[in-house]
This record gives sequence, structure tokens and C-alpha cells, in this order.
Amino acid sequence: MTPGSRAEFGTASSNATAEEDAVRVANQPMMIRVKHAVFGAIGLPVVLLLGAWIGFFNVGASSGHWKVTAWFLQLAMRSAVRTYALAVDAPKTLDRRGLPAAAGHFARGCAICHGAPGELRSPAVLRMLPQPPDLALTVGDWTDAQLFRIVKHGIRFTGMPAWPARDRDDEVWAMVAFLRELPKLNPNEYRALAFNGSDATGSDRQPATPDVLSDCTRCHGGDGEGRSEAVPALAGQKEAYLLASLQGYAKGDRTSGFMALPVTGIAPDEMAALARYFAMLPPASGEHDQIPAAVINSGRQIAEAGIPERNVPACDGCHIGSDKNPIYPRLDGQHAAYLEQQLKLFRSESRGGTPFWRIMATAAQRLTDDDIRAVSAYFSKPAEDAQQPP
Amino acid sequence: MSANAGLLVGCAFWFLAHGSSWVAAEEPGHRQAKVVEPLIEPMIPDTPQSSNPTAPQDSPGSGLSLFLSNGCGACHTIRGTEACGTIGPDLSHVGSRSAIGAGVLPNTEEAFARFVARPDLFKPGVKMPAFDMLPQTEIQTIARYLKALQ
Repeated sequence: MTPGSRAEFGTASSNATAEEDAVRVANQPMMIRVKHAVFGAIGLPVVLLLGAWIGFFNVGASSGHWKVTAWFLQLAMRSAVRTYALAVDAPKTLDRRGLPAAAGHFARGCAICHGAPGELRSPAVLRMLPQPPDLALTVGDWTDAQLFRIVKHGIRFTGMPAWPARDRDDEVWAMVAFLRELPKLNPNEYRALAFNGSDATGSDRQPATPDVLSDCTRCHGGDGEGRSEAVPALAGQKEAYLLASLQGYAKGDRTSGFMALPVTGIAPDEMAALARYFAMLPPASGEHDQIPAAVINSGRQIAEAGIPERNVPACDGCHIGSDKNPIYPRLDGQHAAYLEQQLKLFRSESRGGTPFWRIMATAAQRLTDDDIRAVSAYFSKPAEDAQQPP
Repeated sequence: MSANAGLLVGCAFWFLAHGSSWVAAEEPGHRQAKVVEPLIEPMIPDTPQSSNPTAPQDSPGSGLSLFLSNGCGACHTIRGTEACGTIGPDLSHVGSRSAIGAGVLPNTEEAFARFVARPDLFKPGVKMPAFDMLPQTEIQTIARYLKALQ
């Protein structure tokens, strides 16, 4: 107001001396700039806040973002994923042993938004803002490390959630391996990978809740043997351990994104029924990878005698024998890849579960990678004798 | 002098009365125990140890069966039982020691219970994990069993 009127007055006045004019012309632009800056710094946030307060900004998803907003958000998202993925240490080859579990998780948790081979997405999902990408088409835009970053941390403002379990990078990598497969899968292949084994036929024993059971057998198999090396065999496992594990997952004492979804909403009596059901299934007959005898023998040594010079107690002291605490799991016949992963999680104190987890963490922290591989291989061979009748 | 003689006589009598079953209980698969001479004349309570040397796996819920089922035997030896671990101290006669936990706790049942639950509180850097997740009654039973290992 004041600068404007002064400027008009300045230009209109022919009576003023030349000297006065020169002073005014020199001072005026500086005054205007300062005032604008002050207005920008104080006024603009106030105006924006006022606009938000009176409800000026439309948050409806129906009309989409302004073009400039969409451009900016895309730019910021892609750049941030690219930059933060630089810190991700991606393996040279992705471990495919977790594919069935990852596929099952994808079918349960991801496909509703991102689509799946042979499945139409809901019209409601298509009206989300931003619209979730059809991953079969877009997954090729990203590197493994970038996919890991997105799956693990999610993306703000988009509805893409972070991985529901801390310290389970192994599961996130399994998801990345599955996403790499996704574009190659036809509907039948996808369904076979994600759902095979969901029907608990072949067994006359049914737990009280078959609906919940299909969530288990999707990954653990109708026979309870685990549909891949990375998924634990449950058949013949001790009932008390199975129940304590389910409760541990439900309470968050044991973390797993794969388990977090299905375990939510299982009633306590259903948990008990499921634990009983899998405990009663006949344990694995065992078909395992070829493992060198030297590795197995070294594993047997650890299992039976421990490594006294490094204060590693014998595994058998807790895990073999029907007279042991029923909350200590049996390990014979378990998948080697699963055992390896769990021992590493124990070693980094990332695996809770039963209240006894710290005992196992103490022991695992004294094991090297080679020890872990050997002892896991040893236990993965089928049980030779009936030390623990199911 | 006479006190020492009395102690020796007492030990001799005790050994005649209980020693044979005691040695038998230690025999399976283990070398002869180095006898830690008790400071006072030991009184053997009714422990499972002397009752049936051939079947140390007695009733479920007893101190020994809790000791074994929770895996203590993977680190500790108690001669005459399955427990043959070598990582932790040999507990065959732990109840007759003058003190436990590297000397910081008196040799009492209550001290055993406290040590089993949280060994790290009494012995910093201890290799043994805490067993405070066990029900208190089970810890007490194990403590009573350990104290009775004379």
C-alpha cells in the first residue's frame, strides 16, 4: 500500500528536486523486495494454513492429483528409492527357496492391490490414489535392491505398507525373488506356486477350523512338511512348542511378515486345535539335498557333544529325547535352510518366540556360519530311530 | 586333634553306611569322583540319588528330571545321571561346597534358586543363561535337588 502510493507520488511529482528523485528511485526497489520477502515468509504459510483450515484443499481421490503434484511426488518417490537403495547390499543371485512362502504371502497380502496373473483387480483398488501398479508389468522398472527397499520400508503417501516384521530381511529377499518370477508366471503356474497344498486332503484328521487351516497349509503343506526348504515342517512337532510359537507370533514376540498376517485373528482355542493337528501328523519321511558326509559328521559332533572349547552345549541336551521340556522343539527331520535361518536370527537376537529364546541365543552366538551349516544339515536328515515318537 | 579324629571317624562311619551305593551311583560311564571332603559331617537327606542308582530318571517333576528336561545336563555333569556336559562346573557334589557362584553366594537352597534364575546378577560375564522363565516352583525344586547333592 505505502510503497505503491509513494511510487505514484514520486513519478507524478514534477516539483521535487532531481536529487530527491534520485534518492527515492534508488531506495524504492529495495524496500519492495524486503517487504515481499517478509510477506512470503510469514504470509504464505499463514494463507496455506488458513486454506487448509477452511477446507480449501480437496483431499478426494476421485479427481486425481494436480499434474504438478503428481509430477513432483513421482519424482521424489523414484529419486528417494534410487538413492536409498544404494545402501542395500543385494545378493548376486536371489535365493529361490522362499518362493512358495513368498507366493503365498503375495496372494494373501499383496495381490488385492497389485493384481496377480489371471485375477482381475477390484474396481475399488483401481480408484485408489495413487493407483497401485500392476506389478507384473512394472516390476522390471526396478533393480533388486530398489525392490528390497520398497518392500521393506513401504512408500509414504501411497498406502504401500512397510514389511510387517523387523529384522526379517530374509523374508523381504524372498519377496523380491518372487517378484522377479511374477511377470513370467501364467495363471496356472501362479496358482500352483501360491496355493498348492491349501487343501488339507489326504488326512482324515481335521481341526476344528478348516478355514484357518488353509492359511497354514498354503505354505506348510497339507502334509505339514513345509512346501519349501525355507518353511518349517510342522508335522510331528511338539504340540506345546507349536502352540507357544503361534502365541509368540500373535503377541509379536516372534517376528515374521509371512506369519504375521495369517496368525492375526486366530482365536486361542483355534490355535490349540491347530497345534494339536500338526503335532499329530506323521513326521517327514525326508527328501533332502545331497549334503557331503563330512558336513553331516561335523554337525553330528556339535549336536551330540557340542563344542566345549567354545562353550557350545550339545544340541541334544535340550532337543533330543521325549523326556525334554515339551516347549523345546524337536529338530530331527527339519529343513536345513530353515534351521540355518533360525540359528542366524537367534545369533543376532532377532528371534524370540517362547520365553526360552535367550538360552538358544546364548548358544547360537558361539556358533560360526560353518557350524550352523553343519548342524542344520545334520538335523535335516530324516530321523533314523524313533527317539521321539510323534 | 581330637576334633579331627572325630571327623575322620564320622566320615568312615558315613562311608560304610552310604558309600557303596554312592559309588555305584557314580559309576556308569564316568571316572571315580574326586571326593570333596565335606567341612561338616554330611547328612544325606532322602535324595533320589541314593534311592535308586540304576534309574536316575525318577518321577516327572522331581529335581533331577527338571534338571535334565530343561537341558542343564548339556553343560553340567552330575555323575551317575545322563548329565555329562563339560562347559559348566561339575555339580556332582555342589551341595557340599562352602559357597556357590564363584564364592559370592552362600551354599543354601535359596541361593541356588537365585543363581539359577539370574546367574548374571551374581557372576558378571557368566556363561550360563538365565532360567528365570521357569516357574518359580520348578526353580525351587531344582535348587532343593542341587543343595542335596552332597
